[in-house]
Amino acid sequence: MEQTRRTSTNSIYEPYILTDIGCRNIWEAGHRTGYCFNLTINYYRGLPLSCIDQITFWVDGEQIDPEDMYIQHRGREYHYPDILKDDMATDLYWEFGGLLRVIIKKKGGIAQGIHHVKLILGTRRSYTPTMVAQWEKDMTIA
Amino acid sequence: MKTDHDIKLGVSLYSYQDNYYFHRLDTEGCIAAAADAGAEGFEIFSDAMIPEWPYVSDEWIDRFNGWKYRYNIEAVCLDHFSDRAMWHDKLLTDEELIERSKLYIKTAARLGCTHVRMLHDNHMGERISDKFPPYRLADAKICEELLPYAAEHNIVMALECHAPGSVADKCQEAYLEAADRLGLPFIGLQADFSTYEYRISMADLNGYVRNEGMTREVLEAMREFQTKCYAEKRGFVLDEFMPELEKIGLSDTDRAMLPRVARGEGPYGSNKNNSYETLKNYASKICYVHGKFYYIDEDGEVDNMDYTRILTALKEGGYKGYINSEFEGNRRMNDSGWCNEIEYVRKQHVLMRRILGYPEPVFD
Repeated sequence: MEQTRRTSTNSIYEPYILTDIGCRNIWEAGHRTGYCFNLTINYYRGLPLSCIDQITFWVDGEQIDPEDMYIQHRGREYHYPDILKDDMATDLYWEFGGLLRVIIKKKGGIAQGIHHVKLILGTRRSYTPTMVAQWEKDMTIA
Repeated sequence: MKTDHDIKLGVSLYSYQDNYYFHRLDTEGCIAAAADAGAEGFEIFSDAMIPEWPYVSDEWIDRFNGWKYRYNIEAVCLDHFSDRAMWHDKLLTDEELIERSKLYIKTAARLGCTHVRMLHDNHMGERISDKFPPYRLADAKICEELLPYAAEHNIVMALECHAPGSVADKCQEAYLEAADRLGLPFIGLQADFSTYEYRISMADLNGYVRNEGMTREVLEAMREFQTKCYAEKRGFVLDEFMPELEKIGLSDTDRAMLPRVARGEGPYGSNKNNSYETLKNYASKICYVHGKFYYIDEDGEVDNMDYTRILTALKEGGYKGYINSEFEGNRRMNDSGWCNEIEYVRKQHVLMRRILGYPEPVFD
């Protein structure tokens, strides 16, 4: 089922955070090792990666283990649980309108085709409580 | 386009955020769009349209200055949001926030800006730290500590006074008092037109129906009551009209959301700090203005603020400085199709020029 309504009128980019760009399996040396999604931010400006409060995925109804998630940003890869820690650097900005690539490591990858994907993205801002955006839709994984 | 007007018209590039987010326009494109709307200056978000942020190279600064020359437009203001909630369980300390703030001030100077919009703890009148603990922005003590650095870089820290607050709120005085005491006039009040909304905008009304399932007839009736109160030059108080709204039939959602949706009483309400008279009295002391709006109707008017009265108050009160457009309809409307920010800003500038008696710009 496609989500059609925002969770609130002021949820800014909520309908657009889960992009269809570069949605595909990941291969290494001839083996499928996982798959990935590209996200855009749920706010009207960029934020440091350390201000990400949560990225939670459900694929075909099953929640993805955070331990299996990696974030790729400007040529570097971070284990998702690490960006949530209190010693995460504060000068690595998720650019406004820029893609944040989330890799889900999974031996054998995922079957090519249509999957139902749900994302919750929480970001901390300066003057209002953490903004939690939520979107779900059918996505074609290449 | 450069003029010698006391009140100069510009654009906060924030107004073009969808164009940037969806890659229709890059930073240069947004600056060009502002120039094409007739703007003399612009505001830029450090962490939105400066891709190299936080470490901005001289090369990028040079390119930026080239754009200012090419499009005959000046950089007025850089935004600093006073982000402190860097980690889930830990905030920046005051010292760390001060260090970070210096980077914004220094970068603003390198960009040729005159102002930093300093998000301060009394941004909405009441203290942010009281409303949303533990969020705590730059307070008067932090601003005071930044004053010598701001003076050294010739940057004014503009304190944006947003609805439900206003430039006249007593809580703003501690900041100004610090600048007075140190003899460093580098803190100033910034008005935001959100203070002067007198009814719900159609951008919000349609959004509340579309996204949150509120009853259209209820919201339209409320808007009519707000319009009526404004025409009678009195404040709108929701409770007074609840019996009428009940007759239409309120859903649970309507009941829960109406108090928030109704917002304040408007410029003729009981809070005289939000009146046009007060704005006029403060106009000569204001250092910067955000020309906030969400929607422009078929008549070319901002549909929930009285721009004629707001701009007249600023003009008669002797305001000298920029009014930079802050279009915020994008995020209210962009779930139902492309929101044409370029057209909204263009129309708003036509409106402001008409009210101020400025000629239409000539590009030759």
